[in-house]
Amino acid sequence: MPAADVALDRTLAALADPARRRVIELLLDGPKPAGELAQAQGLSAPAMSRHLRVLRTRGLVAAERGDPVDSRLHIYRLRRGPFKRLRSWLDDIEDYWQDQLSAFKAHAERGARGRRT
Amino acid sequence: MRPTDSVTVTTVVALAPDAAFAVFTDEVDAWWRRGPRFRSRATEDGTLAFTGGRLVETFADGERYEVGRVLHWEPGARLVFEWRDRSFAATESTEVEVRFVPDARGTRVTLVHRGWDRLGPNHPGRRGARGHAFLDVLGLWWADLTVSLRALTGRH
Repeated sequence: MPAADVALDRTLAALADPARRRVIELLLDGPKPAGELAQAQGLSAPAMSRHLRVLRTRGLVAAERGDPVDSRLHIYRLRRGPFKRLRSWLDDIEDYWQDQLSAFKAHAERGARGRRT
Repeated sequence: MRPTDSVTVTTVVALAPDAAFAVFTDEVDAWWRRGPRFRSRATEDGTLAFTGGRLVETFADGERYEVGRVLHWEPGARLVFEWRDRSFAATESTEVEVRFVPDARGTRVTLVHRGWDRLGPNHPGRRGARGHAFLDVLGLWWADLTVSLRALTGRH
């Protein structure tokens, strides 16, 4: 499997969990402290911390220390790179069907001319 | 199902809807593109046909590969069929809907491919064949985020 696919696989594995997907959704609005992300889902700080660690090690989010001691105040933000690969996958599916429809159009209009003559 | 769990493509064809629908279905083998990216075998193209309520690819050695059942057949207006890759489990399927709408230039044909959220995170599509790179990851539910992700990465 090409390297890019392995990276995409990791991205998708990280997103396989609904709590982590919700984190991504929340961060689409802008950077947020870990405590707020936990609160938004009714999760404990340690549970959210585990999810954030997965997202961080897969490179989907980055953290900045909001406080030297309290990790709930660390500010999380989305990293764009991995999502570009997701987008590119979606684009592949679109390309697949757009190629198909173009072939259909070309064939149908060739046939239409044939039927008229 | 949220509407972002889908891919939509469209074209306009210079035929009336009835004729466009007939070409789309009766002549599917003539227009459906060839090669491993579009057909079910890597080495050989079979013959595609909507037959017996199914979309089937038939090969020279007699194999009949069923792409999926036809779920809705409304000539001149709407066609819905299941779409599955060889790597899918027997119970797994996605869905393709094609609408034919009259347009000043003929017929607007709009195709929607949806249903990835029905596939489990570990479904066999993730081990999909070379040339089907996008199928490797079909099973993971992420499409809900599609619109936002596209905004994030600066397209559409």
